[in-house]
Amino acid sequence: MRRLNIIAATLLILIASAGTSLSQIAKRPEQLKFPELSFTVPDAGSMRFELANGIPVYAKADTQLPLVTVTVLFRGGAYMEPAGKEGLASIAGEVWRSGGAGDRTAQQLDEDLDYLAADLSTSIGDVSGQVRLNVLSKDLDTAMPILMDVLTAPRFQADRFAKAKDDLIQEMKKRNDDSANIERREWDRLIYGDGYWINHLPTKTSVDAITDADCKSFVTSLVKAGNVVVAVAGNFEEPALKNLLDRTLGALPKETAQVPPVPQPDHVQEPGVYLIDKPDVNQGRVSVGQLGFRLGTPDEASLRVMNDILGGGGFTSRITKSVRSDKGLAYSAGSYMTFPVTYPGFFRALFQSKSRTCAGALGITMRLIRGMGEQKVSASELETAKSSFLLTFPRRFESAERTATLFAGDELLGRPHSYWTSYRQRIAAVTADDVLRVAKDDLHPDRMVILVVGNSEEILKGYPDFPDKLGDFGPIHKVPLRDPLTLAPLTEEGK
Amino acid sequence: MRTDRKIATGLTALVLLLAGLPVMAQEAKVPVKEVTLDNGLKLLMVVRHESPTVSGGWVAHVGSVNERPGITGIAHLFEHMMFKGTETIGTKDYSKEKPIIAHLDAIRQQMEKEYAKLRAAKRRGEIQGNIYAPENETDELKTLRAEMKKLQDQEHALIKKDELDKIYTENGASGLNAFTDYDMTTYFVTVPSNKLELWFWMESDRLLHPVFREFYSERDVVREERRMRVESDPIAKYEEQYDSMFWTSVPYHHPVIGWPSDVESISRQEADQFFATYYAPNNITVALVGDFEPEEAVTFAKKYLSRIPRGAHEPPPIVTQEIPQLEERRMSAEAETNPTVEIRWHTVPFVSKDKAAVQIMADLLNGRTGRLYKSLVESKHVASGEPYAWSRAMKYAGAFEIGAEVADGHTHQEVEDALLAEISRLQSEPVGDHELQKVKNQSLADSYRRLRSNFYLMLQLLIYDAEGDWHALNDMPGRLQAVTADDVMRVAKAYFTPTGRNVMWYSRKAGTEEDPELAALEGKARLAAKQMLAQIGQVNDPSQLQQIITKLDASKDQAPPEFKPAVELVLKRARERLEKLSSAATGKEK
Repeated sequence: MRRLNIIAATLLILIASAGTSLSQIAKRPEQLKFPELSFTVPDAGSMRFELANGIPVYAKADTQLPLVTVTVLFRGGAYMEPAGKEGLASIAGEVWRSGGAGDRTAQQLDEDLDYLAADLSTSIGDVSGQVRLNVLSKDLDTAMPILMDVLTAPRFQADRFAKAKDDLIQEMKKRNDDSANIERREWDRLIYGDGYWINHLPTKTSVDAITDADCKSFVTSLVKAGNVVVAVAGNFEEPALKNLLDRTLGALPKETAQVPPVPQPDHVQEPGVYLIDKPDVNQGRVSVGQLGFRLGTPDEASLRVMNDILGGGGFTSRITKSVRSDKGLAYSAGSYMTFPVTYPGFFRALFQSKSRTCAGALGITMRLIRGMGEQKVSASELETAKSSFLLTFPRRFESAERTATLFAGDELLGRPHSYWTSYRQRIAAVTADDVLRVAKDDLHPDRMVILVVGNSEEILKGYPDFPDKLGDFGPIHKVPLRDPLTLAPLTEEGK
Repeated sequence: MRTDRKIATGLTALVLLLAGLPVMAQEAKVPVKEVTLDNGLKLLMVVRHESPTVSGGWVAHVGSVNERPGITGIAHLFEHMMFKGTETIGTKDYSKEKPIIAHLDAIRQQMEKEYAKLRAAKRRGEIQGNIYAPENETDELKTLRAEMKKLQDQEHALIKKDELDKIYTENGASGLNAFTDYDMTTYFVTVPSNKLELWFWMESDRLLHPVFREFYSERDVVREERRMRVESDPIAKYEEQYDSMFWTSVPYHHPVIGWPSDVESISRQEADQFFATYYAPNNITVALVGDFEPEEAVTFAKKYLSRIPRGAHEPPPIVTQEIPQLEERRMSAEAETNPTVEIRWHTVPFVSKDKAAVQIMADLLNGRTGRLYKSLVESKHVASGEPYAWSRAMKYAGAFEIGAEVADGHTHQEVEDALLAEISRLQSEPVGDHELQKVKNQSLADSYRRLRSNFYLMLQLLIYDAEGDWHALNDMPGRLQAVTADDVMRVAKAYFTPTGRNVMWYSRKAGTEEDPELAALEGKARLAAKQMLAQIGQVNDPSQLQQIITKLDASKDQAPPEFKPAVELVLKRARERLEKLSSAATGKEK
């Protein structure tokens, strides 16, 4: 009897608890209660040490996987290319790794690294570059001397050098194939102007003019102890790592590099519509925007929040909601702002829509941009945007490699570590008034450039449901395509 | 934990035995905890405390393979609809919204009748182009569309726009998204680790009470997505047709995004049926990876996901098998791209015992120390860039492709021959120990590299589960290590037959070629030369071409000086073409 009672009682409890668990389900997610979660930005100082020759290292251990990554970052890049040698940074960055090093031919270097299952890559970007090694931690001692050979004794072997040039020219041939590539190239021209280094693109002539000696001296001039910051992440023991680094990177001569400051743009583009005809596509690509700011500009936090509400925040932002979700006029629609550390970025709203509805979607987008400077954003929009910035912030430090590389990048480019420790505070302080103010002061819808790439005949027709025509947004400048190899305009109007 | 204690002990013994020998790394093993709820829903969990987040996702075992003609693209359209909210989320008052939605559907049905008439008119040749173009819109359709617009405005007033997204965003979630593929539809997001319960609340709500609101405007979004991904992409539009040629009977034959005609006409009723069949818990697997306690996750799963009733019927099986290919198939496209050759064969499905050997075959061919690069680039110099090989094993069938860009001054045929020569070598000579060990070393290191991010680990679990078995995550690295030279030779012979070949040649579309000599000409002269070159390109009759050359030659001295270089260029090209045409004619006579 007793036993039965117990079973019955247990059953009753089970039923009751099942009942309560069902009734416990909150009607709305706002009613859920969550435990506290706090996050502290990792301390950059405690990750930093210096090698004998002064090279700063940021090392963060993560023993989860038997892998380790060593990234050697350095200042300098495409902005330093001499006139007539456009493409040098990209070719040098490629052949640096593919062209052999030390006493290994290109082919031997490839074989040895592949057998070791080591990823070793080199690249030279716009204003900085890197040599990165990822390898099983048991093989780090074997791989580090190879990395040093690549850093200090690259061979730029002739066949691989010729191959890199051929491959770049093959890539250049595709410059007008995809309307997205055309849009990317012409956008930079409108924002920064032809004279700015960003628009000094390789041509067949400039690539032909590059020699292996150019590559060697470009690379050698940058790899100096005084121009390098190192990030290490993964499975390592700190004493052994320090010892290894001192024997390898620490042995680089204590020299500094002559890296000039990054030039600043002074271009002002006449506002209006810049239309490029690409007759064989049925969807137009539209971009609207203006030159913007460097990282650390006093209004940065407010600008970020403003842009998030306007078009940066995906489906919670106005452009995406309106152009895509409400009207079904685009799959991709939104806006973004870039804040490079060494030169100003830009504001850009963009979408792709079928040719006939490009003007209609542009009208909606322009009205939303203007609206930011006319009326305060709602408390709810402000709250969503700020919460998102604040709560997703820890993800910048989600892996040891991200954290170490981020802090090394700070030191490389001159971004203070305090940028990260004060980041959430600056976002939290943004008010609706701030958003209105920066939209009024810093966004200039009447002076923006509008770039349209697509079937111009169809785009100009417009669509019966929408009153907007392309010409309503300013004078239309027809921009010619450019010859993919010479970049000379392909029609008379461009002359 | 799935780690078997016995195996672990065995490994220790082995490691001790090997002491003194070079250190061999073991391939990665991920401790996955698996729980199945009473309603059939499967839960996979991996705990990693490195970052205070949880990547959560689920896969419905349904993709375009489950579609039929007329509703191709529905699995993908459906994926979009799952973000439109529920009876609670995304609405101010669902009870008021419901009748409007019903009314909208009724109007849409009337519109479908009109579109059916337009389709018939198009068959008769009475109207041209797209039946949905504004030019083809009938008065009846105009009226219906106006009525629809009115109702959509009413609906709009009741909607809380994209609230699902808003709730996740303001709670610090990121990467909310989904994708659809042949065999799966996968939904995912990363949430702060203290918001795991929110994830269960939101995902169970949209599985229990979804509302496919804004159906018709979302269909337009999908049409734009297709324009972006396929129709306005210089290569994707041809790849779609190549894929469709490759797969004959198996339902991978139609594209995941659907044929445009179907996407424009799918109805909400069809979406409802689709949901009832394929979005039942017994057809769904959940994966959580990150900073959480599995016991708590199981409690939440029971509380939230167990509410979803098991489906009334099991989803119907896919019965259609790929019909064996009888003969080589070829397609050539003039596209806006560099000349390229692609060769594709049918191989094996994901769970096949031969999958590992086929993958090793791809690894042997790939990369700068792979066989394709060494042969086509370094030795024969016929290809530019880096030739590639890929192996794709899906749930019901597999494909394997090799390809390369044709180097300047070489032909498609040379590249095709060189590619095929490497397949023949794999069929006739066993691969050497060192070379095999090289790709195995890489595969072992990659088995760890794949685990670096919680998000990608979560995705891999879901993808492997959808393709057949998530255990592949832990089993496959070992199976790859076990592949022998004989295995590689055997699969190379079994699947890479001449009659099973599918070959694609891309050549650059006339008029879009880079042409340094043309570009060097000035303004008007270049335009004139370009037009003349295009015309000459159309002439296929050698005698006609000879006449043109004679005329040009005779008149070239009268051309204004700024046009002289243009005429010279045109003459040079015309003579080259004449030579080519004549030799081709001779070739045919042999």
